[in-house]
Amino acid sequence: MSERKNDDFISYELQEFKLFEPLFRWARKKSLWIVAFCTGCGGIEMPPLATARYDFERFGIMPNPAPRMGDLFLITGYVTPKTLKRIIITYEMMQDPKYVLIHGSCPINGGVYWDSYNVVKQFDKYLPVDVAIAGCMPRPEAVMDGIMEIMRKIEDGTADGWKRYRENYEYYRKNQDELFGEGWREKDARRWLAWI
Amino acid sequence: MDMNEKPKVGEKIEDQKPQEVPEVEAPKLPDTKEGKLVAEVLEKAPYAEGNVRRERRVEFKVPADRIKEFLELASEKFEMLIQISVVDWLKEGEFELVYQLWSVSESVHAFVRTRIPRENAKMPTVMDIWPVAETYEREAHEFFGIVFEGNPRLGPFILEPREYEKHPFRKDFNTLGYVKTIYGEDFDRYDESKTNYVI
Repeated sequence: MSERKNDDFISYELQEFKLFEPLFRWARKKSLWIVAFCTGCGGIEMPPLATARYDFERFGIMPNPAPRMGDLFLITGYVTPKTLKRIIITYEMMQDPKYVLIHGSCPINGGVYWDSYNVVKQFDKYLPVDVAIAGCMPRPEAVMDGIMEIMRKIEDGTADGWKRYRENYEYYRKNQDELFGEGWREKDARRWLAWI
Repeated sequence: MDMNEKPKVGEKIEDQKPQEVPEVEAPKLPDTKEGKLVAEVLEKAPYAEGNVRRERRVEFKVPADRIKEFLELASEKFEMLIQISVVDWLKEGEFELVYQLWSVSESVHAFVRTRIPRENAKMPTVMDIWPVAETYEREAHEFFGIVFEGNPRLGPFILEPREYEKHPFRKDFNTLGYVKTIYGEDFDRYDESKTNYVI
């Protein structure tokens, strides 16, 4: 990483910012904004996580309705191809750096929907994943543990899914196109244009 | 004579008394609001069969060619269509359509069952009786491939286009084969030798 030039496409790690990098990482870790897009059945674990008992606001985490301002994307449960299209578009709208946490076994390997025709089996073929919580369903404690893991990784600098997405974009794009067919973004956009 | 005893060698089987077959009686309708309701409907529609399952649950069986006529009649008593569900009887080569009706005035739930052949399954639409039928018919069309004649919006609805062509709720839809072609085989669940079996 240190050999990167300033005109590289990842211009974030400019040499002059290296000095403040630990400070930035600490600040990023302490103010995670979750994209409020509950994509599967794990969305019901969000209310107990947010309310009085497990109150995640005390860690500086808040759900945020705008993907442009969020940096933590929770994939809560199974992902269907239809949802995956929206997830990819939302993920690409988010600013760098952005982190992905997946809940439960469904995004990891299909879970109980392993032979279902409309559940995506391996989520990390389509988008990079930073932390995965196994098991169904993770309790709020497990989700919080995953978030703490993300925080640790941010501080280490190992939560680099957003970098991997840029560096291996051809791989991810190829898998997405294999699942949805070529030109799915344009087709989808055309379909929803009437509603905007 | 003991029932389990086998007929002896010399004995003719015809000598034994043939088992008396009891005549099938029409099920008696109970003297409740459900029974009265069924009797009232069946009086106008003698081609249908009807019985009472339990409290607040009645059932009708109707031949497929007169289903529309029957539902039009039944809609006087059963004002609301709750659901159109489909059962795929693969061995018999038939689809069973179940129209679930709710009588608001009497608080009775009715199943109206009818069977149609699986090949080129066609039904008249009931949108003119209950406009809400449009959604259920689109769903049945998408998942089972039944054509509802007269419904203007039949077409891709919930599924992705490639699934829409296959009708994934049919019993002969090979789910695992489909999953392998779409999502690939490169992970543990599909290891058929079970060396890396996950569940």
